[in-house]
Amino acid sequence: MPAATCAALLAVTAPAEVHPHVFAEARLDVVLSPDHGSVASLRHLWRFDELFSSTVLMEFDKNADLALDDAELKEVAGTIFSSLADYDYFQVVTVNGKDFHMKAPSHLMAYFDNNQLIVLFESEPVTPLKLAGKIDFGVYDPTFYTAIDFADDANMAVEGLPANCTRTVIRPDPDTAIAENQKTLTEAFFNDPMGTDMSKIFATRLELTCPPEG
Amino acid sequence: MRPLPSRTLPAIAAIVLVTVALVGHAHAQSSLGIGTNDAMPSGTGLFARQLMWINLKQQEFYRALADAMKAMRQDGSKLWLLIGLSFLYGIFHAAGPGHGKAVISSYMVANEVALRRGILLSFISAFLQAATAIAVMLLAFFVLRGTAISMTDAARFLEISSYVLVTLFGAWLLWKKAGPPLRRLLGAAPAHSLSAAHAGHSHAGHAQHHHHAHAHDSHDHSCGHGHDTHHHVHAATEVCDTCGHAHAPDPALLSGDRFDWRTAWTAIVAVGIRPCSGALIVLSFAFLNGLWAGGILSVLAMAVGTAITVSLLATLAVTAKDWAVALAGDGRVGNRVHTTVEIGGAALVFLFGLLLLSASFSA
Repeated sequence: MPAATCAALLAVTAPAEVHPHVFAEARLDVVLSPDHGSVASLRHLWRFDELFSSTVLMEFDKNADLALDDAELKEVAGTIFSSLADYDYFQVVTVNGKDFHMKAPSHLMAYFDNNQLIVLFESEPVTPLKLAGKIDFGVYDPTFYTAIDFADDANMAVEGLPANCTRTVIRPDPDTAIAENQKTLTEAFFNDPMGTDMSKIFATRLELTCPPEG
Repeated sequence: MRPLPSRTLPAIAAIVLVTVALVGHAHAQSSLGIGTNDAMPSGTGLFARQLMWINLKQQEFYRALADAMKAMRQDGSKLWLLIGLSFLYGIFHAAGPGHGKAVISSYMVANEVALRRGILLSFISAFLQAATAIAVMLLAFFVLRGTAISMTDAARFLEISSYVLVTLFGAWLLWKKAGPPLRRLLGAAPAHSLSAAHAGHSHAGHAQHHHHAHAHDSHDHSCGHGHDTHHHVHAATEVCDTCGHAHAPDPALLSGDRFDWRTAWTAIVAVGIRPCSGALIVLSFAFLNGLWAGGILSVLAMAVGTAITVSLLATLAVTAKDWAVALAGDGRVGNRVHTTVEIGGAALVFLFGLLLLSASFSA
């Protein structure tokens, strides 16, 4: 089979039409335990763009009054909540580079403000997450459907962070990230196409660095 | 023709592998559970960098588009900005390859289609897609709102119908292309077989009134009508329920020497009944804000942009095929290359449908 045809067919068939249709301005609050020694929970707030919000309004407005009442909002929250479960609620947490597991949130709240859908939820660590070493909190949709934007570094916040810890917001530049991770990405393509590897590479993340334990 | 299968099978096997690798993870359902995601997540694989770049460009355009829509709500004179951006969005949107261009290109590779006609096909399918999006949105806005059927349901239903059509169309194309050499090989040569010949039947949806153009011209009754295989996808806007019968082509046309509009329409409909989710989002915002003309013009401008890109890609695929055939010469080798490429194209359409379909159900 002539190589030219192969190449041409490949070029037209790679079906990766990947681009977010949905944008959310996000805020992440890392809530510390009362003694400020460990992470109690992660609070997420996503404010969706007006275009997507209008499709949500259109879709869930059962009584056709062009507004979402409490029952309709509950429906919205339930739909998003159950879908996010398949994608770890877009959370990627690592401790010293190793995956750290978070509990599924108990529920998710949705409401409309100024024609924009707002979604809130809170997730707790499965095992105690001590403030020690390097901890990264990333928020990312691995399917590229939603672009989660932290417009300002201050939107990834920790209240009462001990003085011996530092806080940085890391925004990977996609071009650099792709260049640096070409090998990993190729492996990920074969091993874990849906997985968290891409989130780790592309997600905007909050990095806390504290003195190691003990 | 003896050596043909030994060459064809590896070629098909290679195509299967490549296709599985590329579309095996397509997910129709979006990660938020609202709206449909256009395709698989892929920041990885062979074309990671290029696709990522396209992805970033699309993102920029989408944002600009959203801003233009909001600006137009304040100031109607921003309409031209919106139309211009929608056109560019269409071009870039189509550059990130999706099933539409794959089906059209593969169909053109599998058939003798003059480039001029191929470009026409690209344009018609892009406009049908725009018309579907507009129809779905009007339906959602005036009919479905307040019912148990959501827009996501409607879009997903059309999407699955589209994949079913692509699969059936591919199976039929494959049979048409691979059948004769196969039968020659087996020594049996029936005049023509009936089994898979009804794949092209489509009775799908609104906005397909164009079928009138070719609905009832000559068809060989020995082909059978196979009405049980019709896909009745009636929508509330449908005004005609006798049109849309795309009968299986006359066997005389199966030789591939003459361009067959009925077959072409099947490809167009298979591609065109799936609305693009970007268009749906733009339209719902526009309609909710009373920007009727703006929304519709924006989607039409997107269709023009998409059609241009699809035409280019299809031209590329057909040119590559012609070169390959020309290089192989006029003799038996040329014929074999020709047949192999055509079977490959048909197999690709079939596999595309199958994989998209299975992925959309497993999602």
